[in-house]
Amino acid sequence: MNRLVKEKVFLISITVLSLLAILPLFHILFSVTVNGLPVLVKGGFGFLTGTLASPGDGLGGIGVAIVGTFVLVFLSSLIGLPIAVVAGIYAAEYPNSAIGRLTKTLLQIMLEFPTILVGLFVMQIIVVPMGNYSALAGALALAIVMMPYVAVSTEEAMKEIPFTYREAAFSLGLTRFKVVFRVLMGMARKGVLTGILIGMAKVAGETAPLLFSAGGASRVYFMGIDKPIGAIPLLIYNLVQQPYKNYHQIAWGAAFVLMLIFLAIFIPIRLKIKEVKI
Amino acid sequence: MRDAFSGTFRDTFKVSILPFSALIFGIFLLMLLVYFANSIQIFQKEGIEIYTTNKWIASEDPEKEFYGVLAAIYGSIYSSVIAVVIALPLSISFAVFVIDYAPSKLKEWFIIATDIMAGLPTIIYGIWGAFVLVPFLKDFVMYPIYNHLSFIPFFSFEPLSGYSFLSAGVLLGIMVTPFASSIIREAYRMIPFKYREAVFSIGATRYEATKILLSYIKPAIVAGVILAFGRAIGETVAVSLVVGNTFNIHPSLFAPGYTISSLIANQFGNAFIYEYMVSALFAAGLSLFFVGLAVNLLGMYILRRRVHE
Repeated sequence: MNRLVKEKVFLISITVLSLLAILPLFHILFSVTVNGLPVLVKGGFGFLTGTLASPGDGLGGIGVAIVGTFVLVFLSSLIGLPIAVVAGIYAAEYPNSAIGRLTKTLLQIMLEFPTILVGLFVMQIIVVPMGNYSALAGALALAIVMMPYVAVSTEEAMKEIPFTYREAAFSLGLTRFKVVFRVLMGMARKGVLTGILIGMAKVAGETAPLLFSAGGASRVYFMGIDKPIGAIPLLIYNLVQQPYKNYHQIAWGAAFVLMLIFLAIFIPIRLKIKEVKI
Repeated sequence: MRDAFSGTFRDTFKVSILPFSALIFGIFLLMLLVYFANSIQIFQKEGIEIYTTNKWIASEDPEKEFYGVLAAIYGSIYSSVIAVVIALPLSISFAVFVIDYAPSKLKEWFIIATDIMAGLPTIIYGIWGAFVLVPFLKDFVMYPIYNHLSFIPFFSFEPLSGYSFLSAGVLLGIMVTPFASSIIREAYRMIPFKYREAVFSIGATRYEATKILLSYIKPAIVAGVILAFGRAIGETVAVSLVVGNTFNIHPSLFAPGYTISSLIANQFGNAFIYEYMVSALFAAGLSLFFVGLAVNLLGMYILRRRVHE
């Protein structure tokens, strides 16, 4: 009898705790929607395209931050993707060499590295010498954050290809370049692409690396890659800390937009594949 | 002839893709170098006291400046420990529930939900934490406990604002649960079926079986906890919006405090007008750098050793 009671208690508590673990997600989605959607509806199309309102003066728009986020993600992909994909190939092609193993370990470490440290680093090597915050610095910081995601998923996708395909490709007399980039990369493209998209979704939502690199902007859309630029997460972070009520509303609206962007990238990927490494 | 031919090809291939790997190493080493180089100034001025005192005197006069980040180190560890204490039961339960007990139709959806949680931009946790979680904890958790149990040191601080170690810890706990859970889940899934058979064949109840099976994956649980701790201690924006950002070393869960990352986020913007503050913040960052490195290496080592067994 005692054992059966224990069993019941166990089953109930494990179910309750599991539901408790994912309950916050639904509350977050709910809160962001309830607080953000009305702002979006009220602000209309202008909310997505306009510039930031003054304190206490309506909703304005978050267009500058949206443009900034897209510019930053684009630039950081330009910097980070080639390096990351090739480094991932290296780790997959030479898994038993010292450098290959070290590369893999380093990528795993960077995957979990505090992103604020990346921002501080970029500030010191780019922003201080240049004398001002810039889109370039922000993009570099995001590229450093993005690289391990892309490299690790490239490595994993390459490793999953059965060895016989490699043999077959080599037996045709192809050079290793062609074997890797024409044959194997073609086969691994799904995994690589997934990694790239996850990396992009990840950096689109990053705040900490941008704090001391992108600098933020809320009134001018784009001033060049050597000038400060805004980003949605950065805007939210700054607005939440302001005392003005309309700024809090704008922050909720921006959070809703950011959430939609993230879910729009993430959910299709997640439904297509079985496992995602975040 | 043929061998030599392909041999040279192999080398050119290796040599031409090596720079990309080297670049990542270069970035990482340069980062370490930048942190060391910028910390030296404060180490020369204060020595180890930067880590062992709780003083933050910013002054126009470099003579009077003094920085000690002990409060931030304390806050980082305190809030991350709370996070892990919360995340541990939740993530183990979730892993077991999803693998063994969830209705098979819902199983995939449960996992998708946690994957979304793991990837959700942290600033969204931040805004939710600041506007929803903190007021909730303040009114329904902190004040009721404070009103009745304030004689216990853990509950002794009046939660005037709600921004506190507890708020930071709870938010971090929510954020790292999916991550810890995915590590534990993978290990739990990998337990060979014959062990399950064996456990049930001797008449164990499901509770007893789970207990035995969990003891089998103890290393993965430890690794999950360690990696979750590492993730919690490095988190910046969400924490800085709920922790209160006050130099404070207080045993109470309800007291506001600082964390290393939120200290950097808050102070670095205006640090350049002072002589030593930049260096002090880099020294704080350096400690985070090593904690991050140590925690991740340890977690990975434990996980990898398991794989080889």
